[in-house]
Amino acid sequence: MIQLLRIELYKIFRRPRTYISFAIVMAISFVIQLALFSDGKAFLGFFMQGINDQFEVQGNILNGYLVAYVILHSLLMQIPLLVALVAGDSLAGEANLGTLRLLLTKPISRAKLVLMKFLASFIYTIILIIWLSVVALFLSMFLFGVGDMINMKSESLVIILQNDVMWRYFLAFCFATLAMTTIASLSLMLSAFADNAIGPIISTIGIVVVITILSNLELPLFNIIKPYLFTTHMIGWKGFFDDPVPYGAVGFSALVLAVYTIAFLVTTILYFNKKDIKS
Amino acid sequence: MIKRFVLLFAITGALVTQARADAGSDLFYALRKKVLTVKDYSAEVKMKINVSYLKIPQLKGTLIFKSPDKMRLERSGGISLLPKKNINLTISNLIPAGNVMVIDIGTVTLEGKKLHVLKVIPEDDLSNIVLTKIWIDETNLVAVRAETTTRNDGTVTMDLAFGKYASYGLPDKVTILLDLKDYKLPKGVTLDYNDEPTPVVKAAETDKKPKSKKGSIQINYLSYEINKGISDDRFK
Repeated sequence: MIQLLRIELYKIFRRPRTYISFAIVMAISFVIQLALFSDGKAFLGFFMQGINDQFEVQGNILNGYLVAYVILHSLLMQIPLLVALVAGDSLAGEANLGTLRLLLTKPISRAKLVLMKFLASFIYTIILIIWLSVVALFLSMFLFGVGDMINMKSESLVIILQNDVMWRYFLAFCFATLAMTTIASLSLMLSAFADNAIGPIISTIGIVVVITILSNLELPLFNIIKPYLFTTHMIGWKGFFDDPVPYGAVGFSALVLAVYTIAFLVTTILYFNKKDIKS
Repeated sequence: MIKRFVLLFAITGALVTQARADAGSDLFYALRKKVLTVKDYSAEVKMKINVSYLKIPQLKGTLIFKSPDKMRLERSGGISLLPKKNINLTISNLIPAGNVMVIDIGTVTLEGKKLHVLKVIPEDDLSNIVLTKIWIDETNLVAVRAETTTRNDGTVTMDLAFGKYASYGLPDKVTILLDLKDYKLPKGVTLDYNDEPTPVVKAAETDKKPKSKKGSIQINYLSYEINKGISDDRFK
């Protein structure tokens, strides 16, 4: 099992395009950091307008914690693409190269192969999120300093004291890992359906984009289905920056994402077990 | 005979009213003089802001004040929030400066204390303060409540509790009630995480214009350093 996992991880990390994901995360973080470094006051002015009219807010507001939050908020749509690049390629890429049939001649069950590919995608997701935490959080803390964190919501403004921030980020990154694992399992499922890696990657992004739009539309028609869409729950990490933390809602979101992940994985195993492998 | 009696009654009445107004004015000016003896102070405080749209834990820090209107909350690297506009958190800022007209309302009993109530109207038409109603504890010569109507910032009510710094007219605890506008940002920008299902009615409500609300700020003064001199640089 471990040997198979090692091989799958080797396949992921020997490809140069795997590292493109890390470069993209760093580039986006750096662009946002640069923009906020040069024009952060205008950005804050827009968000804080309602508060600044009535209160004198002093101190290092644009600190590393706020910048990291802005980066995470901005990367909401990009990270699923980067996860799909690897997970969507795992089965369909092998089929495309003609190595899948050869791989299945080895004495391992198809279910085990799918699980190992999922586990490899999961490890890749963890490493990507750790990298995100380094460039988005720790680099921002270094560049912008630290202080109390402001979280600007649509109807409220939350101030979190400096010594109360890091554990929230830790849990937020754990939650983001779970959300991205759901994307990885979706992409893996679509990868099992296809024989070319491009299809699953584009399909994953298409599904995420469409249902993210549905999740954010404030229309009564969609309010009924919103709680059942996994994209509604993918932003559950933001719950850790509320006061008090809505643990019930965040826990429910985590449960929904876990159920989706398992459902996608089980579907992949069931389908792949019966799939006629021709290449 | 009747005419003389009416005239005498009117003169006596006018004299009594004038004497009461003078007593009220004297009390007000004595209070103002006492409040203005504090040129600056630095105080260790605990501040709790209760505003519906602000979720802020209790803030600890050093509140520095320099007469007439400089104020800042220092929090060793942390963020500080103070009401803006022309309101600050000292009684001196809510007592009109310059020439004023004082109307003596009489005495009331509040929480077992007999208090003298004055209405003070500034003679300066450009003053931000339109009217101040002050409840004064004559024994200690301190204002325990001030209700100030401002030209642009609504009404500010300040309740003060005094302890060991009463001789300077400085309170141990202040509760300020002020009018505030609501706060809203477009949901499409913030992409809020909804921890509750969005009902149909609530979705429609988000389009409403910001409305006025009451907020309160409670400050507990733990210790003061009074008239030690504070540099203007600390307020920048």
